[in-house]
Amino acid sequence: MAFLPAAGLIMVLVGVGSYYATRSLHGMSAFSSVNLALGVLLVAVGAVAQARRFRGFSGRESRRVALRWAGLLVGALALLIAVDVWARALTARIDLTVDRQYTLSAQSVALCRELEQQGGAPAELVFFEDALLAKDVRLLVDAYADSCKSLELRDASRREPPPAARDIYTTTATTVIACRGEVCDPVGYPSERNITNALARLTRADQVKMYFTIGHGEVDLASEAETGYSGIAGLLRDQGFEPQAFVGPAAADVPADADLVVVAAPERDLMPEELAVLDRYLARGGRLLALADAGQRSNFYAEFLPRWGFTLDDAVVLDRASSPLLRDPKPVNLLVHLFAPYNPVTRNLSQRTMVLLPRTRPVDLGRKPQPDDKLDRAAFASQRSWISRDVSRALAGNETEAPPDATGHEISVVATGRYPRGGDEETSEHEARIVVIGNREFVSNRLLDALYNRDLFLNAVRWLGNDEQHIALSDKGWTPNQDPLTIQQTLGYFYFLAFALPEALLLLGIFAWWRQRA
Amino acid sequence: MIRRLWALSRKELRQLFASPIAYVVLTVYVALTGIYFFQHLVSYNQLLFVYQSEGLTGANFDQGTVPSQINVLNEVFVPSAEDFGLFLLVVLPLVTMRVFSEERANGTDELLLTSGLRPWEVAAAKHGVTYLFVLFLLLGSAIYPAVVVTRGGLGMEHLVALYAGQLFYGCAVASLGLACSSFTSSQIVAAVLGYAIPFVLLDFAWLSNSVSEGVAAVLKEAALLSHYGSFARGVIELRHVVYFAGIAAFGWLLSVASLELVRAR
Amino acid sequence: MTAKIEARRVSKRFGSVVALDELSLEVAPGEVFGIIGPNGAGKTTFLRILTGYWLASDGDVFVDGVSVTRDRFKVQATLGYACEQPRLYGDHRVESFLRMMGELRGLGGERLREATSIAVTRLGLESVLHRRIGVLSKGFRQRVALAQALLHEPALLIVDEPTVGLDPAQQIELRRIIAGFRGSHTVLLCTHQLHEAEMICDRVALLDRGKLAALATADEIRAGGSLESLFLAKVGTSAGVAQ
Repeated sequence: MAFLPAAGLIMVLVGVGSYYATRSLHGMSAFSSVNLALGVLLVAVGAVAQARRFRGFSGRESRRVALRWAGLLVGALALLIAVDVWARALTARIDLTVDRQYTLSAQSVALCRELEQQGGAPAELVFFEDALLAKDVRLLVDAYADSCKSLELRDASRREPPPAARDIYTTTATTVIACRGEVCDPVGYPSERNITNALARLTRADQVKMYFTIGHGEVDLASEAETGYSGIAGLLRDQGFEPQAFVGPAAADVPADADLVVVAAPERDLMPEELAVLDRYLARGGRLLALADAGQRSNFYAEFLPRWGFTLDDAVVLDRASSPLLRDPKPVNLLVHLFAPYNPVTRNLSQRTMVLLPRTRPVDLGRKPQPDDKLDRAAFASQRSWISRDVSRALAGNETEAPPDATGHEISVVATGRYPRGGDEETSEHEARIVVIGNREFVSNRLLDALYNRDLFLNAVRWLGNDEQHIALSDKGWTPNQDPLTIQQTLGYFYFLAFALPEALLLLGIFAWWRQRA
Repeated sequence: MIRRLWALSRKELRQLFASPIAYVVLTVYVALTGIYFFQHLVSYNQLLFVYQSEGLTGANFDQGTVPSQINVLNEVFVPSAEDFGLFLLVVLPLVTMRVFSEERANGTDELLLTSGLRPWEVAAAKHGVTYLFVLFLLLGSAIYPAVVVTRGGLGMEHLVALYAGQLFYGCAVASLGLACSSFTSSQIVAAVLGYAIPFVLLDFAWLSNSVSEGVAAVLKEAALLSHYGSFARGVIELRHVVYFAGIAAFGWLLSVASLELVRAR
Repeated sequence: MTAKIEARRVSKRFGSVVALDELSLEVAPGEVFGIIGPNGAGKTTFLRILTGYWLASDGDVFVDGVSVTRDRFKVQATLGYACEQPRLYGDHRVESFLRMMGELRGLGGERLREATSIAVTRLGLESVLHRRIGVLSKGFRQRVALAQALLHEPALLIVDEPTVGLDPAQQIELRRIIAGFRGSHTVLLCTHQLHEAEMICDRVALLDRGKLAALATADEIRAGGSLESLFLAKVGTSAGVAQ
């Protein structure tokens, strides 16, 4: 009978071990379940058999000793649990990271105080425990929960997000969502800066002011037609942005309270003074969102954007990879699913979160205005795409095949630029930023809710109009080393760590053992 | 009392290193950790080269732009630390299985327990020396942080947190193994129990789908792995220290109980 | 230093098996007291209760008036125990083992050195001082066991089957050593060797099936013939026939 509990334990071990070994493929397999169940049963049977063999205590004193120790052990366990609960409630911790990564900065703590003083709906952070980055972010989220008494922390699963978060899109990288009442804001990369800024956006009274240029055929924010843009205007207001019109010719400068300027697909040239206003605005660290469209001609695309490093050919991008599921699956309707994973505008978009960009202009990179500027391509049509300079023919849907000399490669349709101007480069407080998207129709009333269109737009707006101007949170200063090791160094470490050191230990052990035996 | 504890501890140390198992365990642990560290290092190297050449999607990224999240801390050391924890679970029962059970099998527990020694002293010496052995194991793998620190990938304080976590965790696992050893005279049974109990306590994910949310939350709080991760990330949280210290203390108490209950046969 | 032992109606049960059945006896200070009996009589059980290793089911044993049940550490401080088939640490060398046992007994410094030296001299361990216990002959291991039991000059020395497996010369030597403790220690000798008990013990208790079957002084034994005849009269042969 002594064999039974031992066999049972081994079966439990095999059951648990096989579960861990294969859980990424599927959950609990039948093999694991059977082993676990049988193992537990055998252990139980063995324990019962052992208990039945118990012939009682050998005397009064033995019983006293045994019961005393049983009581002691139970009491000790209860005490340990109580101490554990107490320690958990204390939330005391020591952050020993080089840059105190998990300790909130003064600005974040100040925001917490603001939250406590404000009334209204409580703010909460929804933390997805099963997100890819959850393990890395948990400590930071706990720091918020500990420091911000009025901030609620809710653990959730990506499979069952809370109701308020269901309407906003998430990707595998989405780890934290900041919510207040009915409004939620998916935090991009879950750093302290982004979480604090998301909370600030939700809780601060002053909204981010966006100025839309008008007078050159740009989008109509008031129009509720299918081709209008009232939907995006309403969405922006819900998200804490305040879209306003900016009359270029009448203004000597971009208003001082502008957090960002949107030039939404002008169809005509802007006046030189207007371009100069935009130049000055960017030179002092302004933020610009530029939408384009195929078939439009304006000095904004031909002169202004190239000055800032972007090249927008008068062409249209066509892609054979457009899905037949679309109602109008012509190559001119791009299903964009290739995104730069570490670009702030597209980092939470992936091959499963496509964006529909019909009639899109290619957006490529040209010469950087200054050497320190950083230009990136952010979204791409597939490898089967090509550029057509016969725009009218392509837009009419008459070009369906790539020309024979077209070489398949991903064509960039979204690009971003960062320009350290007019301030401390390290804190990016006055860093000018530009996002250029080669399409405007994707956020029309007709297509705003299609796929992940709104998310691309909001990502761009958030990145441009984020609260770095409100909350000057610099990134934690220290970046761990990234230098790759040479092959020789890598091999050297391997030989030492995996062979030489263990060998030395074994030899030392043999020597010590032999000495003892001698 | 101090003299007795010191004498007992020296005896335990001598016995520990008289057996070849201690050296084999040291060697295996250092070798395993070395090999896995190397694997992470190679993967990190390859990832860097990919970023610095064409980029992941085949599009042309800016040359030399590697995201800050891709660094030797996140890509090599944190995953290595998680592996090291698992290896401790594998090697420690080989050390703890003989500590008490060998005394019982040889009858030398009678020598100790009739010499005026308190059972708690005997248990304390055995536990203390085993925890010291855990420290030796960790020092054997300390070459890795030396590498990383010299290359600027880790701060010294972060290192302290990381090794503190492994030490607490290792001592807790060892304590459970010692408690198992104290209840049997068979080293094999002690080893099986010493594997089974920490392994089951490691992470209750296999059970959490079958129980209610409340029970699942309690199980998660009781699981060893739930308390290990923050150390690797450079944070020492009081509740995790209390948890591991509590397990180690309870394991010691179980050992004392087992020695006391010999009388009650 | 010597001690008085008093066992009062000591019983020990293992389930339905009665190992000791209301055993009562007294051992005078400085006496060499023998306990004999067939296998399973309860000899070792009694010793284990006396040393505090096991608890009595009923009754108690007192050493100089101190209850083993209530205050076993105080009793253990005054006794030295050399158990049957010596339980020693084979990987230790004799010297380091004795030093360790002395430290466990609370000795240190000069006192420890002196005590070790005396024990080594008394038991003739000079030639094996630096050898591992695991490679010693049985005789020397018995001597080491005795030496560790004597380090702290215990009032009570308990020796269980000391001469089992020894050659005649070793047996003679060991008996001489044990007999030499008379007067300076109280000695409780547990043995299967009837003539051994007859030779060195002042009194002998005969246990049978957990009970005290007979208690006789050395003179009474001689007057009655021999210990063997007493044994046979009280216990019989292994075939169960009294002669």
